[in-house]
Amino acid sequence: MDKLLRNKKAIVLFVAPAFILFTLVLFIPILQSVYYSFCDYDALTPPKWVGLDNYVKLLTKDKTMKIALKNSVFFMIFSCISQLIMGLVLAGFLTNIRKGRNLFKNIYYLPCVLSSAALGLLWMFVFTPKLGINAMLTSFGVFSDPTEGPLWLMDIKGYIILPMWVIAFVALWQYVGQSMMLYMAQISGISNDLYEASYIDGCGKGKSFIYITLPLIRPMVATAMSLNAIGSLKFFDLIYNMTEGGPNHRTEVLATHLYEQGFKYFKYGYASAIGVVLLVLCLLMTFLINKFVKMDNYEM
Amino acid sequence: MKNFKRVLASILSAGMMLGLLAGCAAAPAASTPAPAAEAPAAEEAAPAEDGVQEITWMFWDDLEATSDLISLGYKDVVDRFNKDYEGKYHVTPITTNLEEYYSKLNALVAANQTPDVFIVSPGPNLDVYVNPGVAAVLDDYLADGWKDTFTSDAVFSGGTYDGKIYAIPLNIAAACVFYNTEMFEKAGAEVPTNWTEMLDACEKLQAAGYTPITISAGTAWCLSMVAGYLCDRNGLDLDKIASHETDWFDDKVVNAANQIVELSKYFQKTAAGDDNDIATAAFYNEEAAILIQGSWAIGQINGANPEFEDKCGVFQFPAIEGGNDPNRLIAKSDSLAMSSATKYPEASIAFMKYFTDDIAQRYTAEKGGKIPVTKVEYDAAVAPKELAYVMDIFENASGTFGFYNESLADTEAGSTFDNAFVEIFLGTPIEEALQEIQDYYEANVW
Repeated sequence: MDKLLRNKKAIVLFVAPAFILFTLVLFIPILQSVYYSFCDYDALTPPKWVGLDNYVKLLTKDKTMKIALKNSVFFMIFSCISQLIMGLVLAGFLTNIRKGRNLFKNIYYLPCVLSSAALGLLWMFVFTPKLGINAMLTSFGVFSDPTEGPLWLMDIKGYIILPMWVIAFVALWQYVGQSMMLYMAQISGISNDLYEASYIDGCGKGKSFIYITLPLIRPMVATAMSLNAIGSLKFFDLIYNMTEGGPNHRTEVLATHLYEQGFKYFKYGYASAIGVVLLVLCLLMTFLINKFVKMDNYEM
Repeated sequence: MKNFKRVLASILSAGMMLGLLAGCAAAPAASTPAPAAEAPAAEEAAPAEDGVQEITWMFWDDLEATSDLISLGYKDVVDRFNKDYEGKYHVTPITTNLEEYYSKLNALVAANQTPDVFIVSPGPNLDVYVNPGVAAVLDDYLADGWKDTFTSDAVFSGGTYDGKIYAIPLNIAAACVFYNTEMFEKAGAEVPTNWTEMLDACEKLQAAGYTPITISAGTAWCLSMVAGYLCDRNGLDLDKIASHETDWFDDKVVNAANQIVELSKYFQKTAAGDDNDIATAAFYNEEAAILIQGSWAIGQINGANPEFEDKCGVFQFPAIEGGNDPNRLIAKSDSLAMSSATKYPEASIAFMKYFTDDIAQRYTAEKGGKIPVTKVEYDAAVAPKELAYVMDIFENASGTFGFYNESLADTEAGSTFDNAFVEIFLGTPIEEALQEIQDYYEANVW
């Protein structure tokens, strides 16, 4: 292996495919998008340089952008916290049960592998007053009419409106299995000796979870939080399929706003500026999480 | 052995790189279509190996799943064309739902994969394809006598730019008020002719326990259509808005906004999120008494619930006392455009002609309930009853105007108008909502 790593030609040969692939499908499009974000560009005529106009309009005049930014940040905070807690609880629970571990693991992970578009439509029907939960509760006599119950995807009261909470919970249901799997993988790598030593010292299961498990899975917490933050910032499919950003843009997030500006109005330059803001936010969040979630590596 | 592994690794790496490069090479180079005036005539490409010229048509409804009678008529057109031209031409429909239609069409246009033929609404939506030369000029194809089959040259006005025709109309629809005659009778409500009577009818319907109006604010153009009618009935002149002789805080717009607020008391509770299909279904499922909609809804209503035809009445949008001419109608046509980059213009034109032949146009009236655009004679006795009411309204109309969201400066101005009125319905103060469209015009139009 050492000999192979000293062979510069071999290194170049092995790195080249990945490097070329990433350059072509990632770096060049990113650079192109950054360039277009400074242009008035409709994809049909050549881009026209407009400097910072797109960014000025985006950050000072675009009311939908403010809503989208608020919703995206809410979504990110909610996802990071809820998936951290729920993922840890489920991982802790599943690593401590003897029977049915694989069954429950598969049940919790199943929504992750299903199509978000299909799930979005399914949940949309569930929360449609005349078809889903409200209709069911009406048939049980809870409401006299399905529209008397909460209008899950239509209510616009409050700073964070009800449809955003509903979508956030659906996303939690869909993706918590992914966090759970990451934490389980890390927990299963912790040596049993450490737990046995803690039990000899008088720790119960709760204390050993707090003083042994939690510190040792911290690197995975940072990784899972980064993935959650990035995933929720660029979140699109559930929103698009459940509300299409409505009522009247109230549930718009950055990705749906980008899609609308680019594909509905042919404003690819402006949409690229939204994409750049999204990219910066993703990088910023990754940096902050890695900076503030302490990652000491312990021998496990 | 080591050498073998090294050689194997080298071959695999080279294979990956070649695969990658081959994949990239397969992508067509993006090109910008020539401007409309300079667009060269598309050259007929060689047909596929089996000799069939394959074209695509993009449409805004699922032809396999729909119960809309107009869409089913279009499906018949596709089937007839493919059968008649078997072995020569073949069309494949690309379908999507109406809400996503322009986004997906625009994505295909941007990717240089414009469908050979696509449906489009005249106005700013068509401007988007005409100005950069995406849509082809059709005058030469119409000159072979095809144009003479249409009722008049006026039907082409929405698709004409600088004297050149870019879109072929397929039918005409008018925005009217559909009502449930049985509910009106039971509630003791009269067909209203003015705004006061309209509110009075709604009040009586509500008192009788009915939901007076079903409307979609989730699909913004539905509410905006009512707003457009109210602006026009109050006397707003869009040309004066365009030339900045007046602005969006004009009293007539503010009156229209107040009237939307007044009327919204009678909407179904879920109007904020209901889409057009759900709102229309509430009408033909007899959950609400009034639907303000284009006459294209006749095909949707009768397709989904044929028994409802006998209960369905139609009246024209009521007058505003002291306002503008109450006999003006919002009219709209579905139109077809052809891609200027199509490889098979002859096949595309042959396909487009199937939409305006006698069979299709007769179906349009007799089944679909829309007004034909050609001189075809149809049997009014077998046509939906609603069409007769719409024709009466049309004959008494003093003039027509377009949807407001398709009559403003551009598509985004139209959407801003839609959104402003949905905001007003959702409870945003009128001044604040109208400021949005005022700001848009100040920044982009005036």
